[in-house]
Amino acid sequence: MPGRSLTRRTAVGVALVAPLVATACDIDPPSRDSGSAVAAPPPPEDSELVTAVVAALVRARSVVEAATLSVPDLTTLLEPVATAHAAHLEVLEGAVADADVPTPAPARVPADRAGALTAVRRSEQRLLREVRRGCVDAASGDLARVLASMAASTAQHGAALADPAAGQEGS
Amino acid sequence: MSVLDALQATLADEHAALYTYGVLGARTSQATSPALFETLTSGYRRHRARRDQLQLMVRDAGGDPVAAEVAYDLDGALLRPPQIERAAADLEAASVEVLLALVAQSTGSVREWALTEATWSAVWRLQLGQTAETWPGAPELDQA
Repeated sequence: MPGRSLTRRTAVGVALVAPLVATACDIDPPSRDSGSAVAAPPPPEDSELVTAVVAALVRARSVVEAATLSVPDLTTLLEPVATAHAAHLEVLEGAVADADVPTPAPARVPADRAGALTAVRRSEQRLLREVRRGCVDAASGDLARVLASMAASTAQHGAALADPAAGQEGS
Repeated sequence: MSVLDALQATLADEHAALYTYGVLGARTSQATSPALFETLTSGYRRHRARRDQLQLMVRDAGGDPVAAEVAYDLDGALLRPPQIERAAADLEAASVEVLLALVAQSTGSVREWALTEATWSAVWRLQLGQTAETWPGAPELDQA
Protein backbone atom coordinates (compact mmCIF):
# COMPACT_ATOMS: atom_id res chain seq x y z
CA MET A 1 0.00 0.00 0.00
CA PRO A 2 1.13 3.60 -0.37
CA GLY A 3 3.58 5.16 1.99
CA ARG A 4 6.33 2.60 1.99
CA SER A 5 9.82 3.47 0.87
CA LEU A 6 10.46 2.74 -2.76
CA THR A 7 12.72 4.31 -5.34
CA ARG A 8 10.99 6.01 -8.24
CA ARG A 9 12.58 3.94 -10.95
CA THR A 10 12.05 0.71 -9.05
CA ALA A 11 8.36 1.46 -8.80
CA VAL A 12 7.73 1.54 -12.51
CA GLY A 13 10.50 -0.78 -13.55
CA VAL A 14 9.12 -3.60 -11.53
CA ALA A 15 5.56 -2.70 -12.42
CA LEU A 16 6.44 -3.13 -16.06
CA VAL A 17 8.53 -6.21 -15.63
CA ALA A 18 6.30 -8.15 -13.28
CA PRO A 19 2.66 -7.14 -13.70
CA LEU A 20 1.41 -10.60 -12.89
CA VAL A 21 3.37 -10.72 -9.69
CA ALA A 22 2.02 -7.31 -8.73
CA THR A 23 -1.60 -8.27 -9.24
CA ALA A 24 -1.17 -11.52 -7.38
CA CYS A 25 0.15 -9.96 -4.20
CA ASP A 26 -1.86 -6.81 -3.65
CA ILE A 27 -0.12 -3.61 -4.69
CA ASP A 28 2.66 -3.76 -2.17
CA PRO A 29 5.72 -2.06 -3.61
CA PRO A 30 8.53 -4.46 -4.45
CA SER A 31 11.68 -4.65 -2.42
CA ARG A 32 14.69 -2.50 -3.22
CA ASP A 33 16.57 -5.63 -4.22
CA SER A 34 14.51 -5.82 -7.37
CA GLY A 35 15.82 -2.50 -8.69
CA SER A 36 17.92 -4.30 -11.29
CA ALA A 37 14.71 -5.08 -13.15
CA VAL A 38 14.51 -1.47 -14.36
CA ALA A 39 16.72 -2.12 -17.37
CA ALA A 40 14.58 -5.00 -18.57
CA PRO A 41 12.16 -4.25 -21.38
CA PRO A 42 8.52 -3.74 -20.39
CA PRO A 43 5.95 -6.28 -21.52
CA PRO A 44 4.73 -5.50 -25.03
CA GLU A 45 1.23 -4.59 -23.95
CA ASP A 46 2.53 -1.78 -21.73
CA SER A 47 5.70 -0.68 -23.51
CA GLU A 48 3.80 1.11 -26.26
CA LEU A 49 1.66 3.11 -23.87
CA VAL A 50 4.68 4.01 -21.73
CA THR A 51 6.43 5.23 -24.87
CA ALA A 52 3.36 7.29 -25.77
CA VAL A 53 3.21 8.87 -22.31
CA VAL A 54 6.94 9.64 -22.40
CA ALA A 55 6.49 11.29 -25.79
CA ALA A 56 3.60 13.37 -24.42
CA LEU A 57 5.67 14.38 -21.40
CA VAL A 58 8.64 15.38 -23.54
CA ARG A 59 6.37 17.46 -25.76
CA ALA A 60 4.70 19.12 -22.75
CA ARG A 61 8.12 19.87 -21.28
CA SER A 62 9.19 21.54 -24.50
CA VAL A 63 6.11 23.77 -24.42
CA VAL A 64 6.88 24.87 -20.86
CA GLU A 65 10.49 25.56 -21.81
CA ALA A 66 9.39 27.58 -24.84
CA ALA A 67 6.91 29.54 -22.72
CA THR A 68 9.54 30.50 -20.16
CA LEU A 69 11.94 31.50 -22.92
CA SER A 70 9.28 33.62 -24.61
CA VAL A 71 8.00 35.16 -21.37
CA PRO A 72 10.68 34.94 -18.65
CA ASP A 73 8.19 36.43 -16.20
CA LEU A 74 6.39 33.05 -16.27
CA THR A 75 9.39 31.13 -14.95
CA THR A 76 8.31 31.18 -11.30
CA LEU A 77 4.73 30.27 -12.13
CA LEU A 78 5.72 27.38 -14.38
CA GLU A 79 8.55 26.04 -12.24
CA PRO A 80 6.33 23.54 -10.34
CA VAL A 81 4.99 22.25 -13.66
CA ALA A 82 8.53 21.77 -14.98
CA THR A 83 9.51 20.03 -11.75
CA ALA A 84 6.60 17.62 -12.05
CA HIS A 85 7.43 16.87 -15.68
CA ALA A 86 11.04 16.11 -14.76
CA ALA A 87 10.02 13.80 -11.91
CA HIS A 88 7.46 11.99 -14.04
CA LEU A 89 9.94 11.57 -16.87
CA GLU A 90 12.57 10.29 -14.47
CA VAL A 91 10.26 7.47 -13.48
CA LEU A 92 9.12 6.50 -16.95
CA GLU A 93 12.34 6.95 -18.89
CA GLY A 94 13.92 4.17 -16.90
CA ALA A 95 11.44 1.80 -18.48
CA VAL A 96 11.86 2.97 -22.07
CA ALA A 97 14.80 2.26 -24.36
CA ASP A 98 16.80 5.39 -25.21
CA ALA A 99 15.84 5.06 -28.84
CA ASP A 100 12.19 5.37 -27.90
CA VAL A 101 12.59 8.71 -26.12
CA PRO A 102 11.60 11.27 -28.76
CA THR A 103 13.24 14.59 -29.48
CA PRO A 104 10.35 16.97 -30.10
CA ALA A 105 10.40 19.79 -32.59
CA PRO A 106 10.86 23.15 -30.86
CA ALA A 107 7.51 24.33 -29.58
CA ARG A 108 6.18 27.66 -30.79
CA VAL A 109 4.62 29.76 -28.09
CA PRO A 110 3.23 33.30 -28.34
CA ALA A 111 5.48 35.99 -26.94
CA ASP A 112 2.79 37.56 -24.76
CA ARG A 113 1.96 36.31 -21.26
CA ALA A 114 -1.66 35.41 -21.90
CA GLY A 115 -0.89 33.62 -25.14
CA ALA A 116 2.00 31.68 -23.63
CA LEU A 117 -0.13 30.63 -20.67
CA THR A 118 -2.90 29.49 -22.95
CA ALA A 119 -0.41 27.39 -24.92
CA VAL A 120 0.83 25.74 -21.73
CA ARG A 121 -2.70 25.07 -20.47
CA ARG A 122 -3.67 23.40 -23.75
CA SER A 123 -0.47 21.39 -23.71
CA GLU A 124 -1.18 20.20 -20.17
CA GLN A 125 -4.74 19.22 -21.12
CA ARG A 126 -3.37 17.16 -23.98
CA LEU A 127 -0.84 15.56 -21.65
CA LEU A 128 -3.61 14.75 -19.18
CA ARG A 129 -5.61 12.96 -21.86
CA GLU A 130 -2.59 10.86 -22.83
CA VAL A 131 -1.72 9.92 -19.25
CA ARG A 132 -5.36 9.03 -18.50
CA ARG A 133 -5.47 6.84 -21.60
CA GLY A 134 -2.31 5.08 -20.50
CA CYS A 135 -3.65 4.55 -17.00
CA VAL A 136 -6.92 3.02 -18.19
CA ASP A 137 -5.21 0.78 -20.74
CA ALA A 138 -2.25 -0.39 -18.65
CA ALA A 139 -1.99 -4.14 -18.12
CA SER A 140 0.03 -3.61 -14.96
CA GLY A 141 -1.93 -2.42 -11.97
CA ASP A 142 1.12 -0.81 -10.41
CA LEU A 143 1.87 1.09 -13.61
CA ALA A 144 -1.77 2.21 -13.72
CA ARG A 145 -1.39 3.53 -10.18
CA VAL A 146 1.74 5.51 -11.10
CA LEU A 147 0.02 6.95 -14.16
CA ALA A 148 -3.07 7.79 -12.09
CA SER A 149 -0.89 9.81 -9.72
CA MET A 150 0.69 11.54 -12.73
CA ALA A 151 -2.76 12.33 -14.09
CA ALA A 152 -3.86 13.75 -10.75
CA SER A 153 -0.72 15.88 -10.59
CA THR A 154 -1.20 17.13 -14.15
CA ALA A 155 -4.82 18.02 -13.37
CA GLN A 156 -3.73 19.89 -10.25
CA HIS A 157 -1.16 21.93 -12.15
CA GLY A 158 -3.68 22.59 -14.91
CA ALA A 159 -6.20 23.83 -12.36
CA ALA A 160 -3.57 26.05 -10.74
CA LEU A 161 -2.72 27.59 -14.12
CA ALA A 162 -6.41 28.12 -14.85
CA ASP A 163 -6.77 30.17 -11.68
CA PRO A 164 -7.39 33.78 -12.76
CA ALA A 165 -4.58 34.88 -10.46
CA ALA A 166 -2.14 32.87 -12.58
CA GLY A 167 -2.84 35.07 -15.57
CA GLN A 168 -1.93 38.27 -13.79
CA GLU A 169 1.44 39.95 -13.86
CA GLY A 170 3.71 39.11 -10.96
CA SER A 171 2.02 35.80 -10.08
CA MET B 1 -6.66 -8.31 -2.76
CA SER B 2 -9.55 -8.75 -5.19
CA VAL B 3 -11.43 -5.98 -6.97
CA LEU B 4 -14.31 -6.54 -4.54
CA ASP B 5 -11.97 -6.16 -1.56
CA ALA B 6 -10.60 -2.93 -3.03
CA LEU B 7 -14.11 -1.63 -3.65
CA GLN B 8 -15.11 -2.45 -0.08
CA ALA B 9 -12.00 -0.74 1.29
CA THR B 10 -12.77 2.34 -0.78
CA LEU B 11 -16.39 2.30 0.39
CA ALA B 12 -15.30 2.03 4.02
CA ASP B 13 -13.05 5.05 3.47
CA GLU B 14 -15.96 6.96 1.94
CA HIS B 15 -18.14 6.28 4.97
CA ALA B 16 -15.43 7.82 7.12
CA ALA B 17 -15.01 10.74 4.71
CA LEU B 18 -18.72 11.53 4.78
CA TYR B 19 -18.78 11.44 8.58
CA THR B 20 -15.76 13.73 8.71
CA TYR B 21 -17.19 16.17 6.21
CA GLY B 22 -20.38 16.27 8.25
CA VAL B 23 -18.48 17.16 11.39
CA LEU B 24 -16.37 19.75 9.60
CA GLY B 25 -19.45 21.33 8.09
CA ALA B 26 -21.19 21.42 11.43
CA ARG B 27 -18.23 23.27 12.91
CA THR B 28 -18.14 25.87 10.13
CA SER B 29 -20.22 28.99 10.25
CA GLN B 30 -22.04 29.72 7.03
CA ALA B 31 -22.32 33.33 8.12
CA THR B 32 -18.68 34.03 8.99
CA SER B 33 -16.94 31.55 6.64
CA PRO B 34 -19.24 31.31 3.62
CA ALA B 35 -16.55 30.26 1.14
CA LEU B 36 -15.29 27.44 3.35
CA PHE B 37 -18.83 26.36 4.12
CA GLU B 38 -19.62 26.17 0.40
CA THR B 39 -16.43 24.23 -0.30
CA LEU B 40 -17.23 21.73 2.44
CA THR B 41 -20.81 21.38 1.23
CA SER B 42 -19.64 20.68 -2.31
CA GLY B 43 -17.12 18.17 -1.03
CA TYR B 44 -19.75 16.43 1.06
CA ARG B 45 -22.05 16.12 -1.96
CA ARG B 46 -19.27 14.67 -4.11
CA HIS B 47 -18.35 12.09 -1.49
CA ARG B 48 -22.00 11.18 -0.93
CA ALA B 49 -22.39 10.50 -4.66
CA ARG B 50 -19.12 8.55 -4.57
CA ARG B 51 -20.36 6.41 -1.68
CA ASP B 52 -23.61 5.69 -3.49
CA GLN B 53 -21.73 4.70 -6.65
CA LEU B 54 -19.41 2.45 -4.67
CA GLN B 55 -22.36 0.67 -3.09
CA LEU B 56 -23.67 -0.08 -6.58
CA MET B 57 -20.25 -1.27 -7.71
CA VAL B 58 -19.90 -3.57 -4.71
CA ARG B 59 -23.30 -5.10 -5.44
CA ASP B 60 -22.39 -5.48 -9.11
CA ALA B 61 -19.25 -7.31 -8.01
CA GLY B 62 -21.37 -9.72 -5.97
CA GLY B 63 -20.78 -8.30 -2.52
CA ASP B 64 -22.77 -6.77 0.31
CA PRO B 65 -21.66 -3.16 0.78
CA VAL B 66 -19.75 -2.65 4.01
CA ALA B 67 -21.72 -0.58 6.52
CA ALA B 68 -20.59 2.66 8.12
CA GLU B 69 -19.26 2.71 11.66
CA VAL B 70 -21.32 4.47 14.30
CA ALA B 71 -18.61 7.11 14.69
CA TYR B 72 -15.05 7.81 13.62
CA ASP B 73 -12.11 9.31 15.46
CA LEU B 74 -11.07 12.73 14.26
CA ASP B 75 -7.49 13.82 14.77
CA GLY B 76 -6.53 17.11 16.31
CA ALA B 77 -8.39 20.26 17.19
CA LEU B 78 -10.99 21.25 14.62
CA LEU B 79 -12.27 24.55 15.90
CA ARG B 80 -10.93 27.26 13.64
CA PRO B 81 -11.45 27.61 9.88
CA PRO B 82 -7.76 26.97 8.99
CA GLN B 83 -7.82 23.74 11.04
CA ILE B 84 -11.06 22.65 9.43
CA GLU B 85 -9.79 23.46 5.96
CA ARG B 86 -6.59 21.53 6.60
CA ALA B 87 -8.53 18.53 7.91
CA ALA B 88 -10.65 18.47 4.74
CA ALA B 89 -7.51 18.73 2.60
CA ASP B 90 -5.95 15.82 4.49
CA LEU B 91 -9.15 13.84 4.01
CA GLU B 92 -8.93 14.39 0.26
CA ALA B 93 -5.27 13.37 0.24
CA ALA B 94 -6.22 10.11 1.95
CA SER B 95 -9.02 9.61 -0.56
CA VAL B 96 -6.56 9.95 -3.45
CA GLU B 97 -4.38 7.23 -1.92
CA VAL B 98 -7.29 4.84 -1.44
CA LEU B 99 -8.64 5.48 -4.93
CA LEU B 100 -5.21 4.92 -6.46
CA ALA B 101 -5.17 1.53 -4.75
CA LEU B 102 -8.50 0.82 -6.42
CA VAL B 103 -6.99 1.91 -9.75
CA ALA B 104 -4.24 -0.65 -9.28
CA GLN B 105 -6.65 -3.44 -8.43
CA SER B 106 -9.26 -2.84 -11.10
CA THR B 107 -9.63 -2.60 -14.85
CA GLY B 108 -11.98 -1.02 -17.37
CA SER B 109 -14.84 1.14 -16.18
CA VAL B 110 -14.08 0.69 -12.48
CA ARG B 111 -10.48 1.83 -12.98
CA GLU B 112 -11.59 4.78 -15.11
CA TRP B 113 -14.10 5.81 -12.44
CA ALA B 114 -11.49 5.52 -9.68
CA LEU B 115 -9.06 7.58 -11.77
CA THR B 116 -11.66 10.30 -12.29
CA GLU B 117 -12.50 10.43 -8.59
CA ALA B 118 -8.84 10.43 -7.54
CA THR B 119 -8.20 13.31 -9.91
CA TRP B 120 -11.18 15.20 -8.52
CA SER B 121 -9.99 14.79 -4.93
CA ALA B 122 -6.47 15.87 -5.89
CA VAL B 123 -7.76 19.02 -7.60
CA TRP B 124 -10.20 19.71 -4.76
CA ARG B 125 -7.22 20.02 -2.44
CA LEU B 126 -6.40 23.25 -4.24
CA GLN B 127 -9.82 24.57 -3.23
CA LEU B 128 -8.82 23.72 0.32
CA GLY B 129 -5.69 25.85 0.29
CA GLN B 130 -3.12 23.29 -0.86
CA THR B 131 -0.71 23.55 -3.77
CA ALA B 132 -0.23 21.24 -6.73
CA GLU B 133 1.88 18.15 -6.02
CA THR B 134 4.17 15.94 -8.07
CA TRP B 135 2.90 12.58 -6.81
CA PRO B 136 -0.55 12.97 -5.21
CA GLY B 137 -1.69 9.73 -3.62
CA ALA B 138 1.72 8.08 -4.09
CA PRO B 139 3.98 9.72 -1.50
CA GLU B 140 6.62 7.00 -1.70
CA LEU B 141 7.47 8.20 -5.21
CA ASP B 142 8.60 11.54 -3.79
CA GLN B 143 11.37 9.69 -1.98
CA ALA B 144 13.95 9.17 -4.67
